[in-house]
Order: sequence, then C-alpha cells, then structure tokens
Amino acid sequence: MSLNESSLPLPGRDLRLPFGLAVVVLACCAPLLLGNYALHAVIISLIFLLPAHGLNLLVGYTGLLSLAQAAFFGVGAYVSALMAVHWGTPFYVNLFGAGLVAGVLALPLGIPALRLRSTSFVMCTLGFVIIGQAVAKNWISLTRGDMGLSAIPKPYFALGPASFAVSGTVGFYYLVLAIAALATFVVWLIVTSPAGRNMVAIRENETLAESVGVPTWRYKLVVFMISATFAGFGGSVYAHYLTVVSPLTFQMSNSTLMLIIVLGGGPGTISGVVFGSLLFVGLSEALRIAPELRMVAYGFCLLALVFWFPKGFAPLITRFWTMLRGRS
Amino acid sequence: MTGLPILDITGLSKSYGAIRAVDGVDLQVHRGEICGLIGPNGSGKSTFFDCTSGLARPNAGSVKLDGQDITGWSLNRIAREGRMLRSFQKTVTFGALDIEENLVIAGQMFTFPSVASTFGFGARSRARVDGLRQRARELIRLSGLWDVRTQPAGNLSGGQQKLIQFASMLMPEPKLILLDEPMAGINPKLIERVVEAIRYANEQLGVSFLVIEHNIDVITSICQRVAVLDQGRKLAEGTPAEIMRNQAVREAYLGG
Repeated sequence: MSLNESSLPLPGRDLRLPFGLAVVVLACCAPLLLGNYALHAVIISLIFLLPAHGLNLLVGYTGLLSLAQAAFFGVGAYVSALMAVHWGTPFYVNLFGAGLVAGVLALPLGIPALRLRSTSFVMCTLGFVIIGQAVAKNWISLTRGDMGLSAIPKPYFALGPASFAVSGTVGFYYLVLAIAALATFVVWLIVTSPAGRNMVAIRENETLAESVGVPTWRYKLVVFMISATFAGFGGSVYAHYLTVVSPLTFQMSNSTLMLIIVLGGGPGTISGVVFGSLLFVGLSEALRIAPELRMVAYGFCLLALVFWFPKGFAPLITRFWTMLRGRS
Repeated sequence: MTGLPILDITGLSKSYGAIRAVDGVDLQVHRGEICGLIGPNGSGKSTFFDCTSGLARPNAGSVKLDGQDITGWSLNRIAREGRMLRSFQKTVTFGALDIEENLVIAGQMFTFPSVASTFGFGARSRARVDGLRQRARELIRLSGLWDVRTQPAGNLSGGQQKLIQFASMLMPEPKLILLDEPMAGINPKLIERVVEAIRYANEQLGVSFLVIEHNIDVITSICQRVAVLDQGRKLAEGTPAEIMRNQAVREAYLGG
C-alpha cells in the first residue's frame, strides 16, 4: 500500500448532474424558446448528428478518415423513401430498414476499402459517394433519376389498430430529439465498453493493438458497418422530414459537413460531436439569410476555426467537463 | 527443464525477393528459460521474430508453441490464444492514453469471449474490468511508474515507455515473451530496472523469454542460453560463456 493511493480531495462540487438536467430541460423546452425557423435548424442539426456519431466512431475513436458517410446517408434516405412510397410501411420500419441496408451494404464496400492505407482509403470512400449519386441519377426506373422521390409521408406510427402521424415542426422535433438521444446513448455504450477501448487502441497504434490481441481487421470492418448504419438512420429521418429525396442527398458537401462536425466539434468525444452538429449545421442554416454570401462566410468561419482551434473544440470540452466534475 | 520446449521452431525461412533473410533456422526455448538471440546487424533477427510472432508469414518451416502448431497464425491470434507476446524495437505505447488504460487494453482481450462481454454488459464483465484495473495498478507500482500514472503515455521518456510496454505484456499472464532489443535507446540507470523486471517476470511469474539484444553484458547476465544468427542462418548455440569463446561468432561480428 502506498500513501498517495487515496484519490485527491475534490476542491469543488460535482456539477455534472445539474448540468445534465439543465440540458434535458432546455432540450424539452426548445420549441417554446425558438422560432419556427430556428427549430427547423435544430432539427437538421439533430438529423446530421446521427451520421456524425457514426463517423466519430470511425474517425474519432478508430482513426479511419472516411468520406463515405453521405453515400450511406443517401442509401438510407432512398431505402426509407422507397419503402414508404411503395409499401406504405410505418416510419419505424423504414428507419430500421434504412439502417440495416446501409449497414449491410458497408460490408462488401468495406472489405476492399479497409485494405487500403490512409490516403487511398479516403479516396476510395469518396468514390462510394460519387457512385451512389450516379446510381441515384441513372437508375431511373427505381429512383426516378433527377426528379427524385416525392410525397414521402410524414412519419406515422402504427401499433395494432391505433396509428398516429407526427406532423408539424414541433412534433418532428420531439421525434428527432428522441432518436438523437437514443443514438447518443448507444454511442456512449459502445465507446465506454471494452470494445470501445480496443477501438481507441487501433487509433493509437494498429500494430501494437494487434500485438496485444486485438483483431484489428474485424474491428475496423464492424465499426465501418456500425458507422454506415448510423448514416442510414440519419438518411431515413432526413427523407421523412423533407418528404423528398433526390440525388443531391448523395452530394459530397454532406460528407464534408459530417466531417467538419466531427473534426471541428472534437473527434473522440461525444459531447464535442453533439456541440459540433448544433454549431456547424446551425451556422450553415443561419447563414441562409445571406444566400449569396453563405458559402463564403461559412468558409471563413472554418478558417477561423482552424486558426484558433486547430484541435477542434475537444480541448475546451475536456476542460469544461473537468470543471463540471469539480476538479481543477 | 523437462517435457516439451515451450517454443519449438524448425526450418524457419523467409525471403524478400532474392534475399533470404532467414534461411532454415531451428531454435528451441525451454520452459522457464531466458534465451538470447544475437547477431550482427542484418543477420535476420528481426525477420525471425516477425515470422515467429505472426507479424510476417514464413515461407517455410514450422512454429510450435507449447506443442501446438501456430505457423501462419496472425499476430493477434497468437497473442490472444497462444499467450505469446512480443515487444517492438521502436518503443510504442498507446500515446494518448494513461498508463492504466494502456495496461487494461493489453489485458482485456484474453478474458472477453462473447459479444455481450465485449460490450461490457453484465456484472461479470464489469468485475473482469475491475480485476484488470487492479492488476494494472499492481504492475504500475512494481514498475515504479506510480507517480506518472495519470499522464499520457506518449509524454513519458523512452525508458519509461519501455517499462510500460513490458508491464503491458505481463497483463494477460503470458507463457512466453519475445523481446526485441529491450535495452536499445534507454539510459544505463533504466537498464538495471528493465533487467530486474525481466528477472521478476521470469522467476516470480514463470514467464519464458526469447530476447534479441546487442548489449552483451545484459545477455550474459540474464540468459541461460544464447543463439547466434548470421546471414539468416544459425551460426552457434550454447551458454553465454561458450558463445563468447566461439571463433566463428567473433569473426561474424568483426566481419572476418
């Protein structure tokens, strides 16, 4: 026994619980506090949080930079739209269908892609987005090409004889909030588990991880699939929210936006990605007041970020949590 | 030293193009032994290690660990199922993580067989993680790294990282450890500590060792037996004293 084994005395109070409660209250009251347009921006943020969570597992925890998220996002959106339009299945069935198809599709794509090293892997994942868009544009009998699929019903739930539809921005907000909260919880479960620890080991040093018994290849493949599943969920919710999908769902800028959320918010942290999605998607939506300057202004904001916060907001967020825990 | 050797390598060969890096080497490590492996630069020691530990696939020959044929197994499988671990010449740790986390990662795969426990559900798997933490703390204290335990491993000195790496390899209760130049690039004071750590693991925990090392003093003080590689072949084998007297070994080292 050594003397300094006992933990250090805490100089402050643990404020995590009150902070968590404040966030919950704020999230629940948001429709009362925000205008319709701001609420719309928050909904889009929460939708993008899903693929961003998936990407964070891949980039932030396992150390694999991927641009393929938009491809799986698009696949999820189309699967959901097609199921809803052709079969009239309820929302939650479409949601799981979208996640499942995206996740399963990631397996044959991941097997060759993950054999590539760093830069080649990034290029390969970029290719998936371009292929996805080409398929959506040209497989006209299924996707109606550039016209896209429209009149996707608003989410409705059918449990036995009872069914109700979620309509209106406020209703949709609560639906997305519930899904985003659930997804965040699932990510938390993954990253705090022994498997999550192994993912971080792969990020830190793949060969060393391998040498202490981590089957790195299997891990990378499974994380790639989980990440795609999250993107598929996001795409599904997106399709049901906008009620239309077009080949633009597969656009490259969706992938970059997801990457900005993760890298800017704080790769390898959950709260950073939540913060990042609210900030970067919110910013992108807020800048619509000046449509001509929107992308220019957005670019300048990113430049400022790179100069002032080269590691994203992760260090700030870590300090914030330490402060809340009451340690100096 | 009765029964099967813990590691039995026969006719191991590996070529890169026209270069035969390792050319039909036989080597045995007996249970409880510390066996040294020396040789001039480029003699094939590291390739030999890579083929034995599963990092590279040998072209020919077989590797038996504790009587089981493990030729062609992957590095992670040999570590997980064979409990044979290896270190790397260039010291590596999971740099962003603290020492305890480094050790827990090294220890955990060996005790998580199912999906449920992989994700840490249930009291049993949580108890396992707690057990690993306890063992990690014990090893951290033994390695004399207690004071720096909360720092990211990447911030520590090369020697300290060597000790972390060594402690990591003890986490899963290994049968055999392959050490690739454990003394390279660390200061003389730490050499003493690494030697102590090897002796402790060998005597108290019953771990066998195969050690590549250039520091002859260390080799002669810890090894019971030494094998010499030169140009991919085994040149000699014997006690440290015999090897020191061997004319062929002297010539290989002096380039004669």
